[in-house]
Amino acid sequence: MVELMLPKADRPTKGKTWPKPANAKRLREYHIYRYNPDESANPRIDTYFVDLDDCGPMILDGLLWIKNKVDATLTLRRSCREGICGSCSMNINGLNTLACTKGMDDSSGPIKIYPLPHMPVVKDLVPDLTLFYAQHRAIEPWLKTTSPTPEKEWTQSVPQRAKLDGLYECILCACCSTSCPSYWWNGEKYLGPAALLQAYRWLIDSRDETTQERLDDLEDPFKLYRCHTIMNCAKVCPKGLNPAKAIAEIKKMMVERKVAA
Amino acid sequence: MREQIITRDVVANPKSVYGDKRASTRHFFTQRVTGAINIAFLALLLFVVVRLAGQDRVDMVAVIGNAWIGLPLALLLVIVAIHMRNGMRDTLEDYFHGRTYSLYMMLNTMFCLAVGVVGVVSILKLVFWG
Repeated sequence: MVELMLPKADRPTKGKTWPKPANAKRLREYHIYRYNPDESANPRIDTYFVDLDDCGPMILDGLLWIKNKVDATLTLRRSCREGICGSCSMNINGLNTLACTKGMDDSSGPIKIYPLPHMPVVKDLVPDLTLFYAQHRAIEPWLKTTSPTPEKEWTQSVPQRAKLDGLYECILCACCSTSCPSYWWNGEKYLGPAALLQAYRWLIDSRDETTQERLDDLEDPFKLYRCHTIMNCAKVCPKGLNPAKAIAEIKKMMVERKVAA
Repeated sequence: MREQIITRDVVANPKSVYGDKRASTRHFFTQRVTGAINIAFLALLLFVVVRLAGQDRVDMVAVIGNAWIGLPLALLLVIVAIHMRNGMRDTLEDYFHGRTYSLYMMLNTMFCLAVGVVGVVSILKLVFWG
């Protein structure tokens, strides 16, 4: 049964307030979720102050400034720093987004940073995405064909290729799936917006020859039909994609198949 | 019904099944179709409600006892009951699993059946026997 409250041991407590940098004129306050599985303590919210004159403009810049100059134990994922890799996805001021593309000047007051919601936490801002990646594996995100392999490449016309726009750009940051209440309640069985967006991307790929088999695999009350069009996924996607629309299109394909049978 | 143990390998397997595959699309389709019919029938329901506002029982019997109004109203009740059952099923599937789900689903079915049967029998009584 679904749990609506965090267990007592998982509730964050007030943590340490780190000293303000000396001689800094412009400061920004960060409230950051800290959790270390090696300690038996509850998670805590630490307070840091970032010197804006010594730091880049993005929230990730602030986090790296803290890690480099204040507290080296702060743990987070990051790589490209330009919204391509999806590593630095986290919950910032209540919305899932990428720390590297979110500016500090997008909000006022303290910046509150938590890991992606409703996922097991490995440490601090690093969630365990094992099941998220397993769900991506489940939709078989590769070209499946039955025809003999052509001598050159599998060709595709310009209009056929255009159908994949708005789908292929997903960077698997998990912002959408972890913002979805249906995914929170049934994260093991429901494939989630990210995996279903990719499922649709392969369903409508003109080169793929296993559409019916893919639809068979997706047809399930939990894998697909847990989507209730809440639209959080489309709201938070840092790439501006619309997984809810893709899911609706899959449902439409399911119904059309049923009616035609 | 025992709850399924879901490992990473189960999740990653495209052939894993967590519920009634075929019924899932049927439920989704039925829910949308009954929803659309409910919207269409809303005009009839509003007509009956407005027509009966401030009227006594004799007027009510005369309006609903009219077969052109009573029979579509009975049909609407059946469709509403189906829509209600499917909608509640969606909610129960979200929040409950295993035996708890089965129990609540049985209660849901019984409640919707009772609403449909009592409502339809009542309307038919008015239509045919006044």
